[in-house]
Amino acid sequence: MHLFLLIGLLAFSILAILSRDLLKSAISLAVASIFLALVFFRMNAVYAGVFELSVVAGLITVLFITAITLTRGDGDVAESRGHRIVFPLFFLALAVVDLLVMKKLLGQIPAIQGSESGTFSQVLWNQRTFDLVGQVGAISAGVLAVLALFRRDDRHGNAASDGGDTGGRHE
Amino acid sequence: MNNLWILNMGFVALLVGIGLYCLLTMKNTVKLLIGIEIIAKGVTLALVASGYARENLMVAQSLAITVIVVDVAVIATALALIININRHTKSLDVRKLTKLKG
Repeated sequence: MHLFLLIGLLAFSILAILSRDLLKSAISLAVASIFLALVFFRMNAVYAGVFELSVVAGLITVLFITAITLTRGDGDVAESRGHRIVFPLFFLALAVVDLLVMKKLLGQIPAIQGSESGTFSQVLWNQRTFDLVGQVGAISAGVLAVLALFRRDDRHGNAASDGGDTGGRHE
Repeated sequence: MNNLWILNMGFVALLVGIGLYCLLTMKNTVKLLIGIEIIAKGVTLALVASGYARENLMVAQSLAITVIVVDVAVIATALALIININRHTKSLDVRKLTKLKG
């Protein structure tokens, strides 16, 4: 079951890259996120799974679809036609190298040293407090960047409207 | 347990490889962001799989959540940039971003 979920994750990731329609790419990425969340749930990582489902499969997909809709009509970028030949060869080579490396690693992984104690909230709030501060900083930086990028240039807008008015009076 | 970790790491390598291929060969800026997103998926899977194998799942999950939050901030900023660039160049082609004119 775990293997099928990982294969689904990989397949939809490949579909997201190779699909010509950007909307299909975004939706394939969301489906890949759902497969990843299911993998997390199977590994008992419930909180990571919930975040993956709600934030990546939900929020990021909405952001992608909004951006694709806002730039629609201009989104036809001619990708090279070689992907159909190059990508399978690249993927095959990557898979073979990956298989050989992982086969060599198989006996060399050290044994488990010991398990942690406490609940998730204790670990998150007591041990990883600095991470939380970093997360707040990252979210604030993102919000400020989006606000800065979408701010309206009032001075330019007024100048344009003044020019329009004078043009009207001349006529 | 170790076999599952090896299996997960094999798929992590494939995901990161696919994402790098996308970043190196694609010309559409939205596709480049999708490549970054796929690499981030690989990283998150690596964190959680390692935490599961070493029985440190709580720390691994908190790190994975940090990665996801940073990823959201990056994607939101990058998409806002792409929309603004699209207003100027009327295209999503990354090859048209070679000019640094205002």
